[in-house]
Amino acid sequence: MRRLRALFIRLAGLFRKDRREHELAAEMETHLQMHMEDSLRAGMSADEARRQALIKLGGVEQTKENYRERRGLPVLENLLQDVRYGVRMLRASPGFTAVAILTLALGIGANAAIFSVVNAILLRPLPYPEPERLVRVWESAPTKGAFRNVVNPLNFLDWRDHSRSFESMAAILDLMTNLSANGEPVAVQGLQVSPQFFSILRVPPLLGRTFTSEDGVAGHHQVVILSYELWQRQFGANPQIIGRKMDVDAVPFTVIGVMPRRFSFPKTHSEVWTPLPLARTEDWKSGRYLTVVARLKPGVTLEQAREDMLSVANLAAEARPDFNKGWSAEVMPMLEDATEGVRRPLWVLLAAVGFLLLIACANLANLLLMRGTGRLREMAVRSALGAARSRIIQQLFVESLLLSLTGTAAGLLFAQLGLRSLLALIPQNAPLPRSETIVIDERVLLFTFLASLFTALIFGFVPALRLSRVDLQSALKQGSLRGGVGGHQTLRRCFVVAEVALALLLSVGAGLMLRSFSRLISVDPGFSPEHVLTMHIWTSPARYHDNLKRSQYFDRILSEIRSAPGVRAAGSTHFLPLTEKISGSCFSPADQPAPTPAESPSAQFLIISSDYFRAMGTPILKGRDFDVRDNFNSQPVAIVNHAFAERYFPGQDIFAKQLRVCWTIEKPVDIVGVAADARQAQLQQVPTPTIFLSNSQAPMYFATLVVRATGNPRQIARSAEGAVHRVDPDQAISDIQTMETVFSDSVSSPRFQAILLFVFAGLAVALAMIGVYGIVSYSVSQRTNEIGIRVAMGARSSDIVRLVLREALALSGIALGLGLAGSLALSRVLQTLLFEVTPTDPVTFASVCCLVLVVSALAAVWPARRAVRVDPLVALRYE
Amino acid sequence: MRERADVWQGTLALMVLKTLQALGPLHGYGIARRIEQTSGDLLAVNYGTLYPALLKLEQEGYISSEWGTSDNNRKAKYYKLTRAGRKQLEKGAREWEQTTEILARFLSPGKESA
Repeated sequence: MRRLRALFIRLAGLFRKDRREHELAAEMETHLQMHMEDSLRAGMSADEARRQALIKLGGVEQTKENYRERRGLPVLENLLQDVRYGVRMLRASPGFTAVAILTLALGIGANAAIFSVVNAILLRPLPYPEPERLVRVWESAPTKGAFRNVVNPLNFLDWRDHSRSFESMAAILDLMTNLSANGEPVAVQGLQVSPQFFSILRVPPLLGRTFTSEDGVAGHHQVVILSYELWQRQFGANPQIIGRKMDVDAVPFTVIGVMPRRFSFPKTHSEVWTPLPLARTEDWKSGRYLTVVARLKPGVTLEQAREDMLSVANLAAEARPDFNKGWSAEVMPMLEDATEGVRRPLWVLLAAVGFLLLIACANLANLLLMRGTGRLREMAVRSALGAARSRIIQQLFVESLLLSLTGTAAGLLFAQLGLRSLLALIPQNAPLPRSETIVIDERVLLFTFLASLFTALIFGFVPALRLSRVDLQSALKQGSLRGGVGGHQTLRRCFVVAEVALALLLSVGAGLMLRSFSRLISVDPGFSPEHVLTMHIWTSPARYHDNLKRSQYFDRILSEIRSAPGVRAAGSTHFLPLTEKISGSCFSPADQPAPTPAESPSAQFLIISSDYFRAMGTPILKGRDFDVRDNFNSQPVAIVNHAFAERYFPGQDIFAKQLRVCWTIEKPVDIVGVAADARQAQLQQVPTPTIFLSNSQAPMYFATLVVRATGNPRQIARSAEGAVHRVDPDQAISDIQTMETVFSDSVSSPRFQAILLFVFAGLAVALAMIGVYGIVSYSVSQRTNEIGIRVAMGARSSDIVRLVLREALALSGIALGLGLAGSLALSRVLQTLLFEVTPTDPVTFASVCCLVLVVSALAAVWPARRAVRVDPLVALRYE
Repeated sequence: MRERADVWQGTLALMVLKTLQALGPLHGYGIARRIEQTSGDLLAVNYGTLYPALLKLEQEGYISSEWGTSDNNRKAKYYKLTRAGRKQLEKGAREWEQTTEILARFLSPGKESA
């Protein structure tokens, strides 16, 4: 307590110094006078009395100084003094200061920006209470290559009823939903969910209530919950919304709740929630399509839950072996699940900016050392005047800290700007998961602050240690200043080598990603995206429940569109290529005995209309397209892709074959055509064996229309929409976009990585170039003398240039070796991010090495020119 | 010449407190003289060391100071003991007695064996 009190008073002692000084002087004077009076009384002479008083006191100034040290906080005062001095020094050399701050701002800004992304996507917990207990449960069949597969409804019911690790478990089915409350139909993303969905996430509604177990049971009211955003947009935030009726897919529903702002389930942007009416009936027997989320009981570990689920899945497999043989279950933490696929790229980017910051540090350390040699005299004077080494280190370190904090402030500005352009690289339709919340928050600020302290330590400490170790004798002697810095030169070379090696490492990473990206976009997708417009429609199950009616509905829409001006061809597919959506099912040749579903081979299934291939520009290699002959009541037919024909019927007359398909069609289907292979789920994935069925014969509830235009596809958007509405004015249409946009969005993630790495590598190379320039240029100025002698002895310009370049290239050579070793060791982490490029791609490695050598040589050109211009007379007179 | 021990900080503080208790409010010079006299010149107070010690005691709240006038009409800063200072003095004195007692016993082992 007493100490604390004293501390505060001492802190206060830093202020109002004048008055305190005045009082101290007065007190000292009184003391001396009193002492003198005593001595005079004892008979001493006045002069002697004063002398004795001063001796006894121990000197006025010394006493005052001791007193002052106790009055304020000398540590703090020194610090303030150093800060003031540092600011003055930095302002005295604006060029140096600007370069240093800019370098730091780039390094720290890049780190802050990337860390904001990492923080928002990977580190920040999910926005639900106790999120670490949330998991997703998948079906898995490793032998079939399915590791995280969506779930069969009956299996889900078994899991829910027999597992013991979970508080509760909910199933989710996402559907596009047509809403109409007042006039205009709108298509919104909807989720059908088990009633427990909201209680698992533990998010209460903003208005009204969430589902109870009665909701969704047949015979009860149909109820719906709205998102905050939909409520704002479509219903003007009407607080009386609860209890209102609205049509969901043409069925009247009652609104029972509104969820709070920004509530969503990871990776979906659903705006309405309706109960999922699951029951153990035939309707739900086949197919795997549910997403399952669960909350672990308190204290249950992931491992326990996994074991529990394995045994429960075994039960399900024993109960329905035909369907479930080979299938098991997998439990994944929800956060890990939601960030699947972006974790590695983000960590790679963060590592890349970390390297960039290290390069910036090395550069700055060199700048400080270089500037420091110019200040050796100053250091020597200071230490001659009695400054302790620690005091000089402190002063130099305070200067570094000032630089780094200023650089950080500027860096945060850069980060803010950088983040904006970075987010612009993420397309609206294919966002990074959880990217909505990327901001510079307090955690980012803390990280940035720590990063700046760290940089100050790295770039400030070594030079401070070095510079404070001055050899007084030689430093103070005029003219011999240059001799004292020989050791620094070696240190600076080490820094430059490290810089160049790191820059090489980053360039290799960027090179690999760029090459991979260019490989990726030059893949032939098997269709031509130019001139193609796509739009998604979702029919009301209530109005088009009848299969025949539904198939005719789609046919009418397509024929309306085909008759619109500017349309060359129009078709539909249930899953658009490159949108990462795939559906698979089992099949078997009809001339063999039928195996169980679990034992049948499986293929990708796509439900398309006639002219889909023509609209997409995919050729039909053999046979024919679907056409008017293939209607709902005629013999069912299928088209297969080339990969399917090669895999299952190589060298056979495929048109003589019939297939049994595990789809809505019961009768064996004839194969009538073989289409060329096209990429479906994503561009990276080689085409898999695919069976195409006709939407006229196996109609889906939704379809994406693909329309090939004669000209710009955007121009036919309006007339295509009009055509759909001529058939059904209530039909909502969503996701109107060109196939080129779909294509470009589908590669946005690798593009994002490649661009960022490229930018970082560019900055790294630029910084390294500055580093090489600095060291070579310094060494030229050191060797002016030697160069002068060489010229005087008859060296030609080319000899001098070679002399200078040799130094730059020697440094780069060492760096090249180190950088290559590092790259070979580290590029393996890129393996999974690369497409058709190996992590040790020789072309990339070779070109990056060339780049580094060329850049180093370029950096040495200016100093070399200066060396060539050295006048031997001037140079030799210099000493 | 007699050997004079230097006065170290803690002891000096205790002596200052005791002096102020005995003599009431006093200026720096007076305190210095008193300590010197009481110790029989055994301790040569370098008067200068007194002032930071006074400041420290004041910062810790054991003494307070105000400007006053001396006997021969000179403006001087007078220090006086506070309530906390009085307590600190008691505590300090007690501790000091204990220490000396223990040391005394320790340094004369003859008595112990008797």
